[in-house]
Amino acid sequence: MHGAPVLEMRDISRRFGNTQALDGVSLRLYPGEIHALLGENGAGKSTLIKIMTGVHQPDSGQILLDGRPVHIGSTLEAQRLGIAAIYQEPLMYPDLNVAENIFIAHANRGPWVDWRRMYRDAENILSQLDVRLDVRQPARGLSVAAQQTVEIARALSLQVRVLIMDEPTAALSAHEVDQLFAIVQRLRDQGVAILFISHRLEEVFRIADRITILRDGQLISSAPRADVTPERAIRDMAGRAIELLFPRRDTVRDRVLVQVRDLGRTGVFSGISFDVREGEVLGFAGLVGARRTDVGLALFGIAPADSGTIVIDGHAVRITKPAQAMRYGIAYASEDRRGLGLSLPMSIAANITLPMLRRYLTPMGLLRRNAEASTAEEYRRRLSIRTPSVEVEVSRLSGGNQQKVMLSKWLNTKPRLLILDEPTRGIDVGAKAEVHQMIDDLAAEGVAIILISSDLPEVLAMSDRVLVMREGRQMGIFNRREATQERILAAAMGQSETLTS
Amino acid sequence: MGANLRRLVSWEGFLLGILVLVIIVNTSRAPAYLSLTNQINLFQLSIEKIIVALVMTFVIINGEIDLSVASVMGLAACMIAVLFESGVPLPLAILAALIAGVCCGAFNGLWVAYVGLPSLAVTLAGMIGYRGVARILIEDRSIGGFPAWFTALGQQPLLGPFPLSLILFAVLFALAIIILQFSGIGRIIYVIGNNAAVARYSGIDTPRLKLGVFVASGLIAAMAGVLLAARLGAVRGNTAEGFELDIITMVLLGGVSIFGGVGNLVGVGLAILVILNLRNGMSLLNVTGNVQTGVIGVLLILSVLLPNLVQMARERLQRRTTQRKEVQVETETSASS
Repeated sequence: MHGAPVLEMRDISRRFGNTQALDGVSLRLYPGEIHALLGENGAGKSTLIKIMTGVHQPDSGQILLDGRPVHIGSTLEAQRLGIAAIYQEPLMYPDLNVAENIFIAHANRGPWVDWRRMYRDAENILSQLDVRLDVRQPARGLSVAAQQTVEIARALSLQVRVLIMDEPTAALSAHEVDQLFAIVQRLRDQGVAILFISHRLEEVFRIADRITILRDGQLISSAPRADVTPERAIRDMAGRAIELLFPRRDTVRDRVLVQVRDLGRTGVFSGISFDVREGEVLGFAGLVGARRTDVGLALFGIAPADSGTIVIDGHAVRITKPAQAMRYGIAYASEDRRGLGLSLPMSIAANITLPMLRRYLTPMGLLRRNAEASTAEEYRRRLSIRTPSVEVEVSRLSGGNQQKVMLSKWLNTKPRLLILDEPTRGIDVGAKAEVHQMIDDLAAEGVAIILISSDLPEVLAMSDRVLVMREGRQMGIFNRREATQERILAAAMGQSETLTS
Repeated sequence: MGANLRRLVSWEGFLLGILVLVIIVNTSRAPAYLSLTNQINLFQLSIEKIIVALVMTFVIINGEIDLSVASVMGLAACMIAVLFESGVPLPLAILAALIAGVCCGAFNGLWVAYVGLPSLAVTLAGMIGYRGVARILIEDRSIGGFPAWFTALGQQPLLGPFPLSLILFAVLFALAIIILQFSGIGRIIYVIGNNAAVARYSGIDTPRLKLGVFVASGLIAAMAGVLLAARLGAVRGNTAEGFELDIITMVLLGGVSIFGGVGNLVGVGLAILVILNLRNGMSLLNVTGNVQTGVIGVLLILSVLLPNLVQMARERLQRRTTQRKEVQVETETSASS
């Protein structure tokens, strides 16, 4: 190995109420090693990270840094010990510039700021990472990838020895992931111990030196990457074997539901043309920034198109408001379920009935709570939403169950065209399989589905055809036989190999 | 519900506790304190603010604020006075004042809902502007001499011992509870207050509802202004000046979050009772007005602090009990081994 571990977690346990979040977990992080941590949501990954960074205290167990027991009472103490974490959504001060964001933790060095030195040091750190960024640019408007780089630079400025990365790639495009991994590998070569958490198996197998799997708060396995296969990793995570790829049925009907021709929105996207048939799943693939979501928002009337035509059932329509789109039978389940999809402090029932609230009112406009509850119960059964009651606040559900509530909300509008934007992002393996099953069932009922997903294996497995976008333009439509990872990536990255269906 | 409900229940319980305490102290000082006449009197002295506090609850839960309500009250009062003075029949003058209130609310609402300006700025401008119009109308005169039926409506009992304003309040309070807690509109007001984007992405016409809330605020404020004119019997340019802060205090003290989406009318009703009885009790104890205001201020700060403190205490307690359990388990296992 690499000699002595920097950080050792020994027999860590932590309980929250009735949940044993961690049960005697031991973990060693070595300098110059990328250590991947895998597990379903609720397996205890987040709790372990939070104990490492001083957010939570363990109920029992020991933390050793360089072999000496330490107490990590706060994130500040963790920082002083050289332990830093970056998350899926970077912590940024949007009005401060890049350099200020990097050195934000150094703010206690007297009343004066040595701007010249700060900019110079910031540039040095960024060049150490081989990243080009204007250090005087405000953080507002930086891409998520760039913000993460700033966060890594911030950790470096604090002489980080242990860097924890919690799903850092979830919001990145494939190209940005490559860049991030290059940075991570550079850090490893400099002797930083890296703990890497991701729901994307192929990434883990690409970058990790060692893979540790947690399930229900317990350590299931920990082995060098060479000794682990993806199938075994999934089996360990779920405790049962799960099919890697979902077998779709052939559900496409002849009838074309929606025809889109040359659709555009000035400065955002242009020249989008496709048909969707009843029972068809049309995948939208592309890297982040491909503007796939914007096409979805145009069809749903949030940010309407200003050129091109939309034909539904043979009639040309103009869609300028979500209410209008809903009348045409279009539903859009947002990629941002916490920010745009669900009202978190409201109950499951209130969320599910929201778009169709009128149907749950008396003639006087009063709420028919029984009717709401029975609808919610119906979806709770149908999508197996795990909750003690449909009156529970949505904020208290896990990510996968929140996703199911959001899908219920849109299924309840009885859509004919359902636009699903990243429906499995950030949810665990089991819930993901359930969502895939639901997509297949809906298609079998004749619902047309547009599936926007950055998870390429998912798009390939679920779609009848795949439309690839790049920077607001349509690069081609591939049918099931033509669609391979290589071809789609090539199109999404602008390699000119023109293909149409 | 869950966390929010618990939070509110604890805050409402706290308000109820204070209310009982204040009433016990007050009754021991003045035996007639709890009598109907005294309580009606108490209410009537602030009835206009209380009525506006109801609609302010809607505005704040919807995630906005309306600082212009007191100026709308003043404008409505000045309008009926000036119109009446120039020979317009009083009922017509009242109608004109109510329409003016609707227009003020619509003006605020259009900027906030359809242009997307912050309501703090828009209604601050409204507060200055509408007050300005009122002062231009009435200059620095004091207009009174309303017909007897008008002032009687403002001052005399109408039904049993209850004056018109109190009856109106009771009706509006019941209506407000039904709308906010039991109707579809109320549900949507909460959803918008929590996160307006979620409402928009659910196909809800968010701007129209926001406009509606501001129009209601203008209308009710104008109505309160008319009631104030009837009760005072005379109107000046500074009528109802500064009322907006008392009104907002009532709402926030009732547990309504200034960020929107949280709170309910039961809390606001309790807060109104606490403020009225506390002020009256302190007057009975010869506490000066400035100190009274200070006490209300402390309560307001508590209304923000206490829910957070309770939350922290609960978490700490939970940690300690789990730790203790584990210590027990450890000692048991070590004893058996």
